[in-house]
Amino acid sequence: MKMLSQNISVLNLKAIIRVAILLVYAFFCYLMLQITLQYIPVHTDVAFLRIKQDYISMQHYKYAFFIHAYTAILALPAGFTQFFLFIRNKFPWIHAVTGYIYVSTILLFAAPSGFIIGIYANGGLYAQIAFLLLAILWFWFTLRAVLSIRKRNIVAHKQWMIRSFALTLSAITLRAWKYIIVALFHPRPMDVYQIVAWLGWVLNLILAEILIYYIYKKDIK
Amino acid sequence: MKNLSLIYFVLFATILSCSQPKKQNNHEKETTEGFVTDTPAKADIKADNIQSAVYGYYVGMFKASIFDRDKKPSYANKITVSIDSLKDKIVYGHSIVAGNWRPFQGEWSTLDNVLLVNAKEPGDDRYDGVFEFSIYPESQIISGIWKANDKNLAVTQREYSLEKREFTYNPKLELPDYIAWQDLYDQNNEIVDGAEFLTEDVLKVNASIQPLKKEDVENLYKGDLEVIRNSIYARHGYSFKNRKMRYVFDSAVDWYMPVSIDVRGQITDLERQNIELIKRYEEHATAYYDAFGR
Repeated sequence: MKMLSQNISVLNLKAIIRVAILLVYAFFCYLMLQITLQYIPVHTDVAFLRIKQDYISMQHYKYAFFIHAYTAILALPAGFTQFFLFIRNKFPWIHAVTGYIYVSTILLFAAPSGFIIGIYANGGLYAQIAFLLLAILWFWFTLRAVLSIRKRNIVAHKQWMIRSFALTLSAITLRAWKYIIVALFHPRPMDVYQIVAWLGWVLNLILAEILIYYIYKKDIK
Repeated sequence: MKNLSLIYFVLFATILSCSQPKKQNNHEKETTEGFVTDTPAKADIKADNIQSAVYGYYVGMFKASIFDRDKKPSYANKITVSIDSLKDKIVYGHSIVAGNWRPFQGEWSTLDNVLLVNAKEPGDDRYDGVFEFSIYPESQIISGIWKANDKNLAVTQREYSLEKREFTYNPKLELPDYIAWQDLYDQNNEIVDGAEFLTEDVLKVNASIQPLKKEDVENLYKGDLEVIRNSIYARHGYSFKNRKMRYVFDSAVDWYMPVSIDVRGQITDLERQNIELIKRYEEHATAYYDAFGR
């Protein structure tokens, strides 16, 4: 009897945590949507672009920027649904469809456009290297995930997808870190930019590797 | 021979007086000045003569002496009082303080080489009042009080001691070193949250002489940007309505004197471009610096 009640409370706790994560994630996706909506309709002198006037007149930057702003947001909800076990088991077609949306968004649009705008990133060379590396790794991890599932290598597919999604999440973590660092330390605007350009995704990737290590510990052994 | 030269002189003076009546007046003053006596008529003439010495701008702090603390008064603002004309016992002038340009008109008299002035502002502005001051032509100082017409204002009386100073636009004027690390005050005289202070960055650029690039401004705090941009207006003698900027320039910048409430026509092309650039980064910082985003 005692065991049962313990099991139920553990079950409840897990459910509560899951719902909480879902809500927090939905909240951040909503914030990201707000950021994207600033650029609808297309206008080259609003929000972030107000301080990118040197570049926005260049056609390739303009296209890359708007492609990135409009498409990258799709990777957030599309990627999140991939990790639900019940969707994978009961509705594999949803997993496949949203999976195609996720990988095609990144490989065809979000990562290449991210690379181009990364060349002109704020914060100087260090920030630019961070964003270029992020774009390359994001593309690479996502591509590896696609290639491994085509070979029916599910374990490799899962591992590459965890890495890919960790970088997808940098859209949120980069901005969250910026918010926290500014609130705590009030650094100069471009100084904070250089910090979050790295912090925003490197920490995610380290956490992803730790996660992979613990999940597949047995397999590795 | 002496008599002859005197005759020549009178003749010359007469000719002068016919062609240029005004100059003849001056001439007479100069002549009489040598024989200063205590007769009232002479004193008047003397006062007439010092008009040109009295005309001009007088600058200093306009300090609250009677005020209501609860109404969040502006305790001290820099004021420029301009004496524009002294004629027939009537004085015309104007004052510029806190973004307010107001004419005044009144009476003046002399007492022991001091000009006593009592002048009213038109009375159709909420902040109009009456000036009572003395002009000391020798030390080039004006000092006195000002009383508000509306006794419900936060400040109903102010005092001042102003020094005569000419205004010239000089783009090379720099902010003083001690302005760095000063707190910025908001519209209610209170220190805005921790982010609102100046740093040494505010001294790095002069937006009136150097064309700024985005690299010069992108890593600056909003407060520094705001002061750098407003220094342009300050050099042109713009009187700030905005309390935050008024406190910075009124109290911390000696060379600053408010002489105008619209300097748009005086801003140079270089300054205009710099203002536009800085404004972009200021607005971006306002909207996004502490927000979730970039």
